Amino acid sequence: MKVSVLGWELPPSFSGGLGIHTINLFTILSGVMEVVVYVPDFPQLSDHYPFGVTKVNIGELGSPYSTSGDFYDMVLEYNARLVETFDPHTDIIHAHDWITVPAAIKLKKKYDLPLVVTFHSTEYDRSGNFNPQERIMSIEKEGYNRADRVITVSGYTDKILRVLYGGHGNTTVVYNGVSSSIFSNVKKNYSSRSTVLYFGRVTSQKGPTFFVELAKQVLRIVDDVKFIIAGTGDQYWQIKEMVDRFGLGSNFEFTGFVDEASAVKLYRDSDVFVLPAVSEPFGMTVLESMSTGTPTVISKTTGVGEALFNSLKCDFWDVDRMSDYVNSVLKHRPLREILGERGRIEALNFSWERAAIKTLEVYNSL
Amino acid sequence: MKKIVFFFEVHQPRRIRYYKANEIGKNHEYFWDDRNAEILNRVSDKCYIPATQMLIDSGIKSSISISGVLLEALLRTRKDVIDKFAEYFDVGGGEIVAETYYHSLSSLWNEPEFKEQVKLDSDLIKTLFNRTPTTLSSDLLIYSNEIGRLAHEMGYKNIIAEGTDRLIKNHDPNYLYSNPYGQNLLLRNYRLSDDVSFRFSNRSWNDYPLYADKYAKWLADAPGDVINLFMDYETFGEHQWKETGIFEFMKALPKEVESRGMEFSTISEIGQSLKPCNTISVPNYTSWADTSRDLSAWLGNDMQRDAFEDLKSLSNCADKETWRYLQTTDHLYYMSLAGVADQEVHSYFNPYGSPYDAYIHFKNIIEDFRLKCFYKKQ
Repeated sequence: MKVSVLGWELPPSFSGGLGIHTINLFTILSGVMEVVVYVPDFPQLSDHYPFGVTKVNIGELGSPYSTSGDFYDMVLEYNARLVETFDPHTDIIHAHDWITVPAAIKLKKKYDLPLVVTFHSTEYDRSGNFNPQERIMSIEKEGYNRADRVITVSGYTDKILRVLYGGHGNTTVVYNGVSSSIFSNVKKNYSSRSTVLYFGRVTSQKGPTFFVELAKQVLRIVDDVKFIIAGTGDQYWQIKEMVDRFGLGSNFEFTGFVDEASAVKLYRDSDVFVLPAVSEPFGMTVLESMSTGTPTVISKTTGVGEALFNSLKCDFWDVDRMSDYVNSVLKHRPLREILGERGRIEALNFSWERAAIKTLEVYNSL
Repeated sequence: MKKIVFFFEVHQPRRIRYYKANEIGKNHEYFWDDRNAEILNRVSDKCYIPATQMLIDSGIKSSISISGVLLEALLRTRKDVIDKFAEYFDVGGGEIVAETYYHSLSSLWNEPEFKEQVKLDSDLIKTLFNRTPTTLSSDLLIYSNEIGRLAHEMGYKNIIAEGTDRLIKNHDPNYLYSNPYGQNLLLRNYRLSDDVSFRFSNRSWNDYPLYADKYAKWLADAPGDVINLFMDYETFGEHQWKETGIFEFMKALPKEVESRGMEFSTISEIGQSLKPCNTISVPNYTSWADTSRDLSAWLGNDMQRDAFEDLKSLSNCADKETWRYLQTTDHLYYMSLAGVADQEVHSYFNPYGSPYDAYIHFKNIIEDFRLKCFYKKQ
């Protein structure tokens, strides 16, 4: 069996969720089947991958999510080139997100091949449900309806797609894995230093404003707590300004972009990780944090939460409840230790091997 | 003639409410009384009234313990349930058994407190039912020699315990024993008890469906003098819904039991009619909870032990009543992180959704209570 993967990014060119998913999943699947992954020919791609890679030339382009130039036009250009480059000697087309859907639909029709589409996120999530782009949604919808099999990264995402685009009779939830060895090979100390971590893009989808509101509440009760915002994004300056306006500057630290090695240290040295996402299809950072033994407080609109027992969950807007959770984790060592230790073990259940087996089952069902 | 002994524990806790950290020092209302009343009404209608009526109608004798916390809640809003129990004790052959008023773990650490809580319970029983129990059930069948000693000092003649695997290896639970203090000791037959209380409606169980004739045959086939079937009273109509046929099962049981030459008996009747065949020593605490049958359902993890230490540390507080409500074992049970096999049972009972929430609310309340008790005047 051969699968042709219509991808967008691969590390080290860019390590967003989609790239990490693609490299981990298809490295494993390439052991049992033939895999070829199509990606735009971005400059930082590696020369060698554990599976076949076809780099699709799309002319003068920067990073995959560059805001200079029109991203939408770049996607369409990639899809057009992809159709030209595509090798039809294959059994399955596996597309990922709306950015590969236009080519997937053309190729399916042209070569009469079965199509699997994985949704890692939706336009609804990315926009924080604020001003979603119609033209992107219509591509997303077409991909959803035309696919022979749909894969979502959570039941939460499945539900969003069902509400937005009507049901799809053949949807499978495949949770992402976590490369736990990187994170769990560090020793965790549960004596409190009172550090609260936000780690992710600073953008409305992830709810950074709620994190600042939360800090304000927590600091009303205890004052020696440090809040770290790790990451960058379009709301970075707005959030900095908000922190200053609340007079919380001395309790906040902004790290900017964080590489993997520093990420592990940040997770480990924090006492609680918070993800107040408005809409997060999966939430890889939650598992990464849990893998280091750091307790997590997350919104109910974070996909991975539906499969977690050892995480504290509440509505993203319920700052009262969320700050109560954070306070309790900081205050009570038994809670910190139990959430930490049990969470660490629970996160181990999320492996890429398991994700690969589930994906293979979807292929076999075609 | 072989005796069949039913013992039912009847209890509802005064559940605490979602108590936020920003209420500490401001709000001393801890209990979820609207929810408690709602649950009490439901359980009364689905279980207490119909189950007691069922026992009266079918002439099944049994022994029953009712926590003081529940009795006072019933007195407030469901006097009809008290009257129904009274009817059963007066004309239906039911016997009331003493326990701690607050359904607490006080027996484990505070002798005077335990004795006082038992006395509060038996005083209320005297007032409501004009009866003096001769049997003590340390809540949830928690038992050890030490508890036997306490019960003996309070003058109770009979006591009951779990027939744990370890114990029944050498002591068949279907006989009467005595403890080192000369009290009659009855051991729960957990297999035959759980057939009714846990497995009755389980469709993946080999013996589903369980009918009275089949069950009575098992009782008759079991060797020994007395079969001790101890369970939550809420088994009838609440854990096992009416639709499962649990009431019909019970109603059909007396005929099947009698036709096989057996009879129902109360615990005190056993104490009078049978002679202990041996003396049993139980040095470590046992209970009927979870698969481990020890204290781990309440004190199995650090959150539970932390909360328990909080309760101990507050024994000098002025507001004894609130302190005692907080001692009810259910608060600790909700914090349990039991294994997969037991988690289903725990989640069923947990009003907060997760053991972490249960712990967080409890700790917030304890913090406020501590402030209120010890720092108010400063």
